[in-house]
Amino acid sequence: MGSYVVRRLLQSVVVVIGVTLVTFLALQAGGDPTYLFVSERASLEEIEATRQALGFDRPLHVQYLSFVGDLARGDFGQSLSYRQPAMEIVLEALPATIELTLFSMVIALLLAIPLGILAAINRGTAWDGSIMTFSMLGQSIPNFWMGIMMILFFGLYLRVLPISGHVPFLAPMMAGDFGTALSNLPRTIFHLILPGIAVGTYSLARNTRLIRSSLLEVLEQDYVRTARSKGLPERRVLIHHALRNAWLPVVTIIGLEFGFLLGGVVVVETVFSYPGIGRLLFAAINQRDIPLVQAGVVLLAGIFILLNLVVDLVYVRLDPRMKLAGGRG
Amino acid sequence: MNLRTLRALARVAGLLGAIVMGTACAERSEDTIVVGFSADITTFEPGMISSRDNSNIADHIFGHLFSLSPDGEHTPDLAHTLEISEDGTAYVYTLREGLTCHDGEPLTAEDVAYTFNRIADPENRFTGNAPGFVFTSIGFQDAEALDDLRVQINIARKNPIAFGLITEIDIHCKDSYERMTLDEAASNPIGSGPYRLASWTRGSEVVLEKVREPGNFQRIVWRVIPEASTRTAELIAGNVDIITNVVPEQIEAINASGRAEVQVVSGTRRMYVGFNLSEAHSQMPGGEAIQDARVRRALQYAVDVPTICRQLLSVECERATGPVNPPNGNSSLTPYPYDPATAERLLDEAGWARGSDGTRFAIRFQAGQGRYVNDVNIVLAVSQYLEDVGLDVEVDIMEWASVYTPLLRERSMGPLFFLGTGGGLWSPIYDMTDMADVASGTNYTHWDDDRWFSRWADVAEAETPEQTRSILDEMLQVFYDDGPWLHMYFQPDFYGVSNRIEWSARRDERLHVFAAALK
Repeated sequence: MGSYVVRRLLQSVVVVIGVTLVTFLALQAGGDPTYLFVSERASLEEIEATRQALGFDRPLHVQYLSFVGDLARGDFGQSLSYRQPAMEIVLEALPATIELTLFSMVIALLLAIPLGILAAINRGTAWDGSIMTFSMLGQSIPNFWMGIMMILFFGLYLRVLPISGHVPFLAPMMAGDFGTALSNLPRTIFHLILPGIAVGTYSLARNTRLIRSSLLEVLEQDYVRTARSKGLPERRVLIHHALRNAWLPVVTIIGLEFGFLLGGVVVVETVFSYPGIGRLLFAAINQRDIPLVQAGVVLLAGIFILLNLVVDLVYVRLDPRMKLAGGRG
Repeated sequence: MNLRTLRALARVAGLLGAIVMGTACAERSEDTIVVGFSADITTFEPGMISSRDNSNIADHIFGHLFSLSPDGEHTPDLAHTLEISEDGTAYVYTLREGLTCHDGEPLTAEDVAYTFNRIADPENRFTGNAPGFVFTSIGFQDAEALDDLRVQINIARKNPIAFGLITEIDIHCKDSYERMTLDEAASNPIGSGPYRLASWTRGSEVVLEKVREPGNFQRIVWRVIPEASTRTAELIAGNVDIITNVVPEQIEAINASGRAEVQVVSGTRRMYVGFNLSEAHSQMPGGEAIQDARVRRALQYAVDVPTICRQLLSVECERATGPVNPPNGNSSLTPYPYDPATAERLLDEAGWARGSDGTRFAIRFQAGQGRYVNDVNIVLAVSQYLEDVGLDVEVDIMEWASVYTPLLRERSMGPLFFLGTGGGLWSPIYDMTDMADVASGTNYTHWDDDRWFSRWADVAEAETPEQTRSILDEMLQVFYDDGPWLHMYFQPDFYGVSNRIEWSARRDERLHVFAAALK
């Protein structure tokens, strides 16, 4: 396993470099970013001076190689907008996104398991039909629309939940300020409810279907029939025998989904004014803040690669039939 | 899982929910005002601030030598007098006594000189509005302290609008800023204004605390709420007191809420359709036609601007007759009426009769998207009006930041283009300096009428305000008759204001809450 991990980590270096190159080229395709850093009435001389000050007058390959060289030394450069270390700004936004992602995934899982089980054991009944309909709706409804509707209903008409904003929990916790973190926790959860539901609904719907279909397949297996014929209670058959194997596809998805959600909830973050990485990177792209975008992309790529590796390792632990490296099965 | 376990879990969940909602519901206190705005703040470094949202907050943290009132009056702030030398190149400000920065450091003339020289220092590589626009426009040379209270700002040449531009400079203290790195200064401002920065959660909110007058609220919370409908929801829910950039479609909802209302002010942004008169554009379809002032004048009658404003902006706009914001414009000029028959007649007289296909000439109309209120629909409406009088208009809508802006900077959009440029209320000359020189970067139309440009020398030499006014009126008459703009309107600004407070929006996009108070 050790060599497998090392090999995967080496491969990840190549992936990260590839990601930065694609990102750099994509940002350059948007035109000269200098104009976004000068005032409306700046003279041509001022524009040229700014272009030089920001390094945009250098050839593209020089700009990129300079970035890669700095990256090798752990220097992600300074954000052009904030004029502060780019990675520092990205890491500032990361806890908020982790909170939202974890919250939405926990909600999704806590509900997906019982709903998936309920649908599977009541296959073909009204329960199954209702749950599958809900699942279909959950995967069809755009999360930003759902977010706006929830804002109107819960935030404006009922006024029981906050419409926007964020109260930090992880950030003070990681800074060692446990008192602030714990005192913030109730309000943190309060502010996470609406965006968490908006983000988590798709995952909940998909996982419900996945657990249902996976469970249905497992329930047909011989060992399940054997367990029943031994006289075990149905609940024990489900939880201890069937679900453990039905769970495997969900494990794979969850790990990858976490990585995806970390950078992909920009629309929900915008609707709820949630200061996460998605919104930060979206604004950075619009502002052509190249160092900030690169820092964010590298971080998210790194997290995604790491999660991918963890998922593979966990999967092997859960399913002894699986082997590492050289292919599955 | 048995029933007892389920009941226990339900009790715990209910208890948790009560704790969460109980502790999370917080009333807005009477000593706090909350402002919701759309774009995040990027820095508190005075030399780097460039956006209006950023400078609105900074205006509460930093003092200024003089300030501009809502009506454009030049009023004392940190300084109480200004003397300008005979040759117009030296501005001597006398500070009030007893000034301090937020860390207690006395604020003297030395600090003011330091502020200017620090912002201008090329080593700092600042790219904000102060070094990039203000200093370039006034030809800033250097600043020096004459004594403890008097500071002299030296500029390259006489400039009739320097006094107004200098009001943009955020004054800070030398010792405070010499102790900080540039990174630290960007996020830990030590100002000289009525409020200090209490906290800044990037992407979320900025909290200011009052340290001195003026200001009726102890705390100002500036919340970043990028989505317009979310800002509106927060206003109606009573969670914020003021929001900016209300979209026209939400005006009715806010006014009907009973908790807030929309204040509409005629802003200072001049919205116009530009005629690009460059040599290159004269070769393009339609480019030759618009070179003729008679054609440009004809098209002034072709567009129903009031209807565009009513239907697409939900307000009656302040119509434009030129580049100068009212009331500083030429008062004898009236907006061109919508009269397509006159437009058609004038186009015929100019030699551009309709062809057999009903078309007079084809022309391209370029615009950026998402920059101004309902900009795309307005452009489409204008193009339809032009089509109605026989033009074959090719509308080219582009992404603002990366596609349209480079064209703008190179002055190469057109032959027709839609644009709004910021103006002011404190001097007609400021509004007119977009076209201070044929080659200036803001003369997007490449207009070169000598009846306008040659008069700048007369403006510089004018000895009395009346003389200046007379010259400006003549220039504005030329601009109205034969200028390079299809005059449209001054963009209205929409602010949502809670019924909890008394506050009036300014026309110049500055959002100051010093005078805001509870009702």
